[in-house]
Amino acid sequence: MVDQRTHFHAELEGLEQSIHEIGDRAYDMIQMAIQALIDDDMDLARQVRASDQVIDQMYLDVHNRWINLIARQQPMGADLRLMSVLLHMNVTLERTGDQAVNIAKMAELCHGLPGSDRIGQQIQEMGHLVRPMLRTAIESFIRRDAAEARLLPAMDEPVDRINMGMYREVVALGTDPEMLEWATHTMMAARALERIGDQAVDVGEQVVYLVTGELLDFNEEALDERGSES
Amino acid sequence: MSETETAPATTGASDRTIEITTRPRDVGEDARSMHIEDPVIEAQGLGVHYGHFRAVRDVTMKFGKNEITALIGPSGCGKSTVLRCFNRMNDLIPSARVEGNVIYNDTDIYAEDIDPVEVRRKVGMVFQKPNPFPKSIFDNVAWGAKINGFKGSKGELSNLVERALGQAALWEEVKDKLNESGYSLSGGQQQRLCIARAIATNPDVVLMDEPASALDPIATLRIEELMHELKDDYSIIIVTHNMQQAARVSDRTAFFSVDVNDSGMRTGRLVEYGFTDKIFTTPEHEETEHYITGRFG
Repeated sequence: MVDQRTHFHAELEGLEQSIHEIGDRAYDMIQMAIQALIDDDMDLARQVRASDQVIDQMYLDVHNRWINLIARQQPMGADLRLMSVLLHMNVTLERTGDQAVNIAKMAELCHGLPGSDRIGQQIQEMGHLVRPMLRTAIESFIRRDAAEARLLPAMDEPVDRINMGMYREVVALGTDPEMLEWATHTMMAARALERIGDQAVDVGEQVVYLVTGELLDFNEEALDERGSES
Repeated sequence: MSETETAPATTGASDRTIEITTRPRDVGEDARSMHIEDPVIEAQGLGVHYGHFRAVRDVTMKFGKNEITALIGPSGCGKSTVLRCFNRMNDLIPSARVEGNVIYNDTDIYAEDIDPVEVRRKVGMVFQKPNPFPKSIFDNVAWGAKINGFKGSKGELSNLVERALGQAALWEEVKDKLNESGYSLSGGQQQRLCIARAIATNPDVVLMDEPASALDPIATLRIEELMHELKDDYSIIIVTHNMQQAARVSDRTAFFSVDVNDSGMRTGRLVEYGFTDKIFTTPEHEETEHYITGRFG
């Protein structure tokens, strides 16, 4: 078989490569942001912000190249599905970067305040759950592995659980105003991590669409399954 | 045929399994012969030989009424050959032999007692290159009605010509010069004149063999717009090399491919037939996918 559209396919491959790079950068930013919060490390928080500026530039670059490809090449079939997925992933991963910045901002607001080890551990735990989710989303995309992508909703469940329990943890801290201020900001960081988990699930839905042509809502599927189990 | 595989959910407390449905990559007969209630034309095991050369084989498909169906595929895949079967145009090629059946109005148009001229009255054709007769604009359109024994008055014939030119979106441009030669028109106008001529006999089906490939982009878009309007009254089957055109105008699309045997003989066949949006976004067959994404040859 001969590829009659080598120029277009090379550009498409380049676009996908840029999405991998944005995903890798967002992945690293999550860990840096969590460490900034836990270790009260303002240098790391600044690095997260700087890295997000790079992602924002890459996002614009991908968007411009994407528009040009659509206008000039009119992709069809699997190429069209890939184009659709790349556009979606570009937006989603850029927002993942924004959520990492939100965590870094919380780290800055928490600077110098007394914290709670217990809540800190829960934030770390969320990070340990969310980063593999983003990795799974990106790897399943690279491998075009719909089965792997469909593991993501189950991976997201414990993240949601910890986030839901965060409010009780904050209330249990007592009445120290500085500790409460730290905990309130940290609760916002937990919320950002929960959103990152959702974004990884979104990418997983796109991977299934890319491979099968079916656009599914994993959350609705999970609700349906729970309904049929009860 | 659908394939399923079961993947365990390894993370989380749940021990449920998730059913993964993947798209079938090897389609059977069902994917090629769409179920269409009350089709306008149906090909059953259609094949065409030119002498010893088998140009196309085993085409079984139905065409919907008041729909636009596009036939696409690489050169030599037999799409134009198939199109010409639907109004017995292949009869005009001495070595051509058609096998199988073409059913129109519950009748096989290749049955012995069928008059091919009558078939062509009900199944009109527009060709790649505009081919007006060396006659006036009026006579170009009136010709079809006249040779089909039009018995009406001069006024009725004028009405028929005006209606056909109106349907072909040409009336406003030519109403003041009906006696001028058809050749005086631009290429796009000439093609619309040919469409007016084809529909003047009040056919059920209009076959179009690359009707816009000789036209500039603006004239092409006018023909495509016209096709959308015409499908309210006619069923249209179009052969086009332009995939974007097929995607823009058609309701359903059939993809043909070509097999080459050891002696270099090329035989076309129907690979996949489906709704146009499906064919161009998530085709069932790998060959279709390769063709529409430019990976072939």
